[in-house]
Amino acid sequence: MLRYTIKRLLHCVVTVLIVVSIVSLLLSLMPTDYYFTEDQLIKLTDEQKESQLAAAGLLDSPFVQLFNFLKQLILKGDLGTSRRIQNGVPVVDVIGGKFAISMKMGCIALVISLFLGIPMGILQAKNKDGVFDHVGAAYTIFVNAVPRLISYSLVLVLGVRLLKLPSMYSTRNVFVSSILPIVCLSMGSIASYALWMRRYMVDELTKDYIKLAQVKGLSMRTIMFKHVLRNAFVPMAQNLPTSFLLTIGGSLLVERFFSVPGLGPLLTDSITRYDIPMVRGLVLLYASLGVIGLFLGDVLMTIFDPRIRLTGKGGDTR
Amino acid sequence: MKKLLAILLAVAMLAGILTACSSDSATVKQGVKNWVTYLTLANEMETFNILYSQNNKELQVLTNCFDGLLSQDSRGNLIPACAEEWGTEDGGKTWTFKLRKGIQWVDMNGNAMQEVKAEDWLVGLEWVLNFHKNAATNTSMPIEMIEGAGDYYTYTAGYTPAAADADDAAKEKAAKAKEKFEAVCAKYNLDPTPLTEEQGKALGLDLFKTMVGIEAPDDYTIVYHCVAEIPYFATVSTYNCLYPACQALIDQLGVDGFLACTNENMWYNGCYTITHYVQGNEKVLTKNPKYWDDKCALFDTVTYKMVESGDVAYQMFQAGELDYIELTESNLRTIYNNPDHEFHNNLVEARPTKYSYQIHLVYDKHFEDGTPDTNWNTAVANENFRLAWYYGLDATPYLSRTNFINPQKCANFCYTMTNLVSFSNGTEYTARVRELLGITENSETYARVDAAKAAEYKEKAMAELSAKGVTFPVEVDYYIQGSSQTALDTANVLKQMFSDYLGDDFVVLNIKTYISSLATEVRNPRLASFFINGWGADYGDPQNYLGQETYGQDNAYYSVSYSKINDATDPELIATYKEFTEMVDKANAIVGDMDARYEAYAQAEAYMIQHALVIPWYKNVLWQLTRTNDYSHVYSLYGIQGNKFKNWETAEDIYTTADYNKFAEDYNK
Repeated sequence: MLRYTIKRLLHCVVTVLIVVSIVSLLLSLMPTDYYFTEDQLIKLTDEQKESQLAAAGLLDSPFVQLFNFLKQLILKGDLGTSRRIQNGVPVVDVIGGKFAISMKMGCIALVISLFLGIPMGILQAKNKDGVFDHVGAAYTIFVNAVPRLISYSLVLVLGVRLLKLPSMYSTRNVFVSSILPIVCLSMGSIASYALWMRRYMVDELTKDYIKLAQVKGLSMRTIMFKHVLRNAFVPMAQNLPTSFLLTIGGSLLVERFFSVPGLGPLLTDSITRYDIPMVRGLVLLYASLGVIGLFLGDVLMTIFDPRIRLTGKGGDTR
Repeated sequence: MKKLLAILLAVAMLAGILTACSSDSATVKQGVKNWVTYLTLANEMETFNILYSQNNKELQVLTNCFDGLLSQDSRGNLIPACAEEWGTEDGGKTWTFKLRKGIQWVDMNGNAMQEVKAEDWLVGLEWVLNFHKNAATNTSMPIEMIEGAGDYYTYTAGYTPAAADADDAAKEKAAKAKEKFEAVCAKYNLDPTPLTEEQGKALGLDLFKTMVGIEAPDDYTIVYHCVAEIPYFATVSTYNCLYPACQALIDQLGVDGFLACTNENMWYNGCYTITHYVQGNEKVLTKNPKYWDDKCALFDTVTYKMVESGDVAYQMFQAGELDYIELTESNLRTIYNNPDHEFHNNLVEARPTKYSYQIHLVYDKHFEDGTPDTNWNTAVANENFRLAWYYGLDATPYLSRTNFINPQKCANFCYTMTNLVSFSNGTEYTARVRELLGITENSETYARVDAAKAAEYKEKAMAELSAKGVTFPVEVDYYIQGSSQTALDTANVLKQMFSDYLGDDFVVLNIKTYISSLATEVRNPRLASFFINGWGADYGDPQNYLGQETYGQDNAYYSVSYSKINDATDPELIATYKEFTEMVDKANAIVGDMDARYEAYAQAEAYMIQHALVIPWYKNVLWQLTRTNDYSHVYSLYGIQGNKFKNWETAEDIYTTADYNKFAEDYNK
């Protein structure tokens, strides 16, 4: 297991470096005019623009730019400084300032989703074609069919008008102002967990071992929780670490809608403003979270299902 | 004449002082102590360094944190700020500003750090002009106006030798830069080796003082030496390129740290400090307890909430979380058309913004494959073709997109923004331009339109251009941002107007889209037939407007970047542009008699418009719901003073339409 872990981690590092390198090379191919704001394009002369580009190293070849970035990253752990998001501030500081907010809010939403979504899925599966199943299905369909911005607007209007909650997140009133964004963050994943939980449980309920268990006289409760739930949870377990880690990345839509100062909109903002150091830093972060999440997912699967082995050759059933 | 000018300036100064003194907090009605406003997320600040910023998104906040030498009052008059006296005794070549004593630099908590002194303006200008410190931003006006400023910038910027495999144009450019650098070095006996980044950052005031025309003879006097007589130079001091910086703070933070200063570590000399800032969420400005103007009315706090869109802001206003909301067209229609709406009687019209919008025609348009669009280029070079647009296009449907209640309030018939400057007899400059154009504004129709003239010019244009091989209808390409539904709706209105007023047999408007950068995707490859764009002045002189449209001048922004007139080939068109340019140059040369100067500009502007080289289009007059009286605000048509939260009259309840009518009436008395 240790050998496997080390090998997978090395793979993770290589994968992340490849992703970052490809993105960096692609960014280097963008026209350099994007480096300037419209106002700067008005007021800077061609000479001044070239001097600025040269000073930022953007006139070097893409490979030289990539080499310089990797050298700084590996030798000093330096991701450079932001130019357009927060001019002159180290990328690590910009990301660090937003990281905690997204993670905190995302984790709360994830926990709520798991605690509501999974029981909902179980109840739907247990009462298949019953009233609860239909209500759950209606909720799932509503959440998935209605465009997110419309459902968020609905939450906003109801929350503000009926419950007198603040419309936007505030770092000076975190608890109350987080309620609406967390509700919006959870809505979709509750539906998603319920949908998949129901589906896997219904699948399991049709299998032969359930009939055997019933014949052996086990109670339905024991069958549901001891056997069906455990088996049904295995495929979901693989995605859990990724979901958890990606909460750090925040949600672009929710964070924008409620002005949550998290990581969600940062990548798109950085790309549209041609803030290359920020884009590189964020790609590095997201790629790392993605590959680590997948790895942890594999590990978690072996915990829920001991039949799964991460080492050994195919067909080995030890 | 110089004496007369000195007297006039002294009178203006006195009037300014009196106006400033009259803005006593006791006379300002303040129903709101903690003002809460909003900005959309796209307007989030990118820097706190006021010397580095060139964007309104930062300057609208930072103008509250820093004071320059002068400011403006609610009528746009120059008034004292850090300088309590100013003037010139040689017709505008040398300008002296006398600082008031006791102004303090404070930290974010309002603790006094040290006194603001004249040398801070030298430190500020050195920072701006030093390429290694401020990366060439905000240099254009000082370089154009202050002696030696361009030389100092050239020296700090150095030059980059062309690569061995560079093309001839790049090599020539590099050689020119080197020549310019070496000439500066020779002029000041400097080592002709470009400075390294470290050397550039280490430069202090010693060399700067020997090269640049600014001096501080004592702690409270600043003297600027201009490259020529610049009668409007005092107005330039309202712009942040001439703002102060404190050397002690730069020493404390280091050059990189000062460039990337934050609200927590920077020092302030303005009316507020930023006590709370969360990017993309909110910022709180708190009254500066050590502010020099202790008689003015300030809010205890001003909170900016960063919101995703105007619609979210409207929800917040309804919930009582904001004190002001600018209305989108749909919200305005909903409220206006429903007499029972809770805000129906609270709809109030804002004052015009500082921007004057024009149709900027492109005289050297290309297709996407890079070949010239000869059909369009030939057509647009024809004066009758342009005049058919000028007289034919009734902008009313377009103006209704912004202000459907009073669309003609947005009508614009001049290039320069209304109220920028006035003649000594009180005649407003653009009123004189309209007089020369024979346009009488009215509230019912877009006054310039004359269908008969438009038809006549169209007929002439079609005959002349057909003979030159132009095919009709002429394809007109208009670009909008692809992701903007608002832009698409407006462009569709424009398309219908072209069809209705000019005829499908004459022109056809094609709406095309770009992704993120108009400059990179459209302007540089010259893909558009025209742009609708607005210009807001940096300083108080018509030169700042008309100078953008001249022929063959590198600093004429619209000519170089938009119309591409310098690459046009039609001799008649070029002759017209040259005539206009000569008229502007003549006006520029008049420095002693301001009335004669303005008259010369008015003649040049009228000439440009009569020949439809550029077609004036609209100005922004929006509708809002608010607890503040706009007429009490600083009214700034140039510089960065426009968003200062100083002496704002406010009420606990939202103002009504009747209240605002009274405010406007009182203001215009």
